[in-house]
Amino acid sequence: MTMIEAFHVSKAFNGRSILKDVSFTIREGSIIGLLGPNGAGKTTMIRLLNGVIEATSGKMKVMGYDPKTQGDEIRKRAGIVTESAALYHDLSAWDNLVFFSKIYNAYDPERITYLLKQFEMIDKKDELVGTFSTGMKKRITLAKALLHKPKLLFLDEPTNGLDPEGINDVIHYLKKVNQEEQITIIICSHVLHQLETICDSFLFLQGGQIIERGTRNELEDKYLTEVSLLVETGLQPSNPNTYMGFTYVRKESQSIEFKLASKNEISSLLKEILSESWIHSSEITNRSLEALYFKIRSEKYE
Amino acid sequence: MNKYIITAIAAKDMKATFSSKKIWVPMMILPLILCIILPAVFAYIGINTELIGESSKDLEKPINAVIQNFPNEEMRNTLAALPTLGFKSVYFFLNFMLIPFFLMAAIINSMVTSSNSFAGEKERNTLETLLFAPISISELFLGKVIASFVPTILITYMAFLLNGLIVTLITYRVFNEIIFLNSTWLLLMFWVIPALVIFNIVLNVLVSARVKSFQEAQQFGGIMVLPVVGLIISQVSGLFFLSPLTLFLIGAGLLIANGFLLKLITKFNQRNTLFESQIH
Repeated sequence: MTMIEAFHVSKAFNGRSILKDVSFTIREGSIIGLLGPNGAGKTTMIRLLNGVIEATSGKMKVMGYDPKTQGDEIRKRAGIVTESAALYHDLSAWDNLVFFSKIYNAYDPERITYLLKQFEMIDKKDELVGTFSTGMKKRITLAKALLHKPKLLFLDEPTNGLDPEGINDVIHYLKKVNQEEQITIIICSHVLHQLETICDSFLFLQGGQIIERGTRNELEDKYLTEVSLLVETGLQPSNPNTYMGFTYVRKESQSIEFKLASKNEISSLLKEILSESWIHSSEITNRSLEALYFKIRSEKYE
Repeated sequence: MNKYIITAIAAKDMKATFSSKKIWVPMMILPLILCIILPAVFAYIGINTELIGESSKDLEKPINAVIQNFPNEEMRNTLAALPTLGFKSVYFFLNFMLIPFFLMAAIINSMVTSSNSFAGEKERNTLETLLFAPISISELFLGKVIASFVPTILITYMAFLLNGLIVTLITYRVFNEIIFLNSTWLLLMFWVIPALVIFNIVLNVLVSARVKSFQEAQQFGGIMVLPVVGLIISQVSGLFFLSPLTLFLIGAGLLIANGFLLKLITKFNQRNTLFESQIH
């Protein structure tokens, strides 16, 4: 089932165009990464989908509702974590969650306790949010977004300010709610390597337009025109520049990076190396989301 | 309109008001000085000492002239029958001149809470969180108005009660009446002040939702005190007296204005315009 549909959406503020003719669909239960540099229009897109601002032109449907006229129906079923939307610093973590659960018409002390335990904040529930670190506030904000068991979760830079452990916990938890409760998740982030493992597919926004979209595999097939394969091996090729016709660069005494035209060539290369020497590991180094992101951006710019 | 949501917003704001000493202590001090200590001291000095009579000998003639020209006959006779100038001053002060002080305390207190309402949410970045929630702008406004109204009216009535008790203890043996149970005072406290406080709050909340910062909202709120200052001057100079009818009309006028302002709020504050003007 389709969760979100956007048709030719544009948004301008004071004559300045922020989004231009954006169209996309998002399937129920998927995790989507909305990527793009600052000012690309990611936050504006999230605001439009929640119906807190109105599009200049175009149509949207979120869970079957029109954000322009049925915004409250969407907001009742959507949770949101944004960078700028804050909690009440003069209230305790518990009082914040009680307040928000009430305005979402979902007051349930058991749910609040459950979420505080999930985010390991139960011991701090009576402390004022103003005294918390950025990471702790983020965890309470995430708990707040999940209070009313949303069907759709918008996360704008959800891992900013978290330490590596905190990031892992959040990613792990998001996967869990996605699988267990079938929550559709839209994540905007700059920290691309965190998204690699969690997102099903990606939308690339730039200058208010969607410049590319697809799953990781689709994007790889399209943009990975050359494969860099790093092999840890004892191989000592006689030619200093090429081996089996593939150019290579020696990275360390026992690791070599080969340039291949496609992934299909990997097996034969490794077979040949194995006939001469040992292999401890091999890895494609230019397939990271970050590498794809820069590749897409540079190609679209040209 | 969801009562549950409105109550949650109002309760959250009131909790913040009463849990911050920086907010409620000044809110208490003003009525304490203007509406409790000042009338008590004035009544005590006027009745138990010769201070007012002696120091204002040269004022005796103009004061008597004011009394003779007083529009209300009953009040004129009561004032004329009082034996000393001190007694007359106290009686006059408690019946008329004290009224603007109560108005002033109510206006300033409601301004403190209401000018903070939207601008405060905006400054703490919580307005965005609220606008992303499934609450209507009317619910948000109403919650904010209630959260400003309840503390102000509670403090004002507490001050009225304490003032009534203390002043009656001091003056009952001379005047043989409880001054604050007359129609002027009852109309003021239960008709004019609630209407005025609501008017001031709605206006401030409206302004607070449109301006950029909380200082701007307070500056505007300050203008609201001006009519009351005018009232104090006119009362003291004998230019204009607040009769029960005048008070009734003022209250009625304010209520009509309140209805008008509430309509204006629902018309001008759509979620998207509020969001675009307040959040960046």
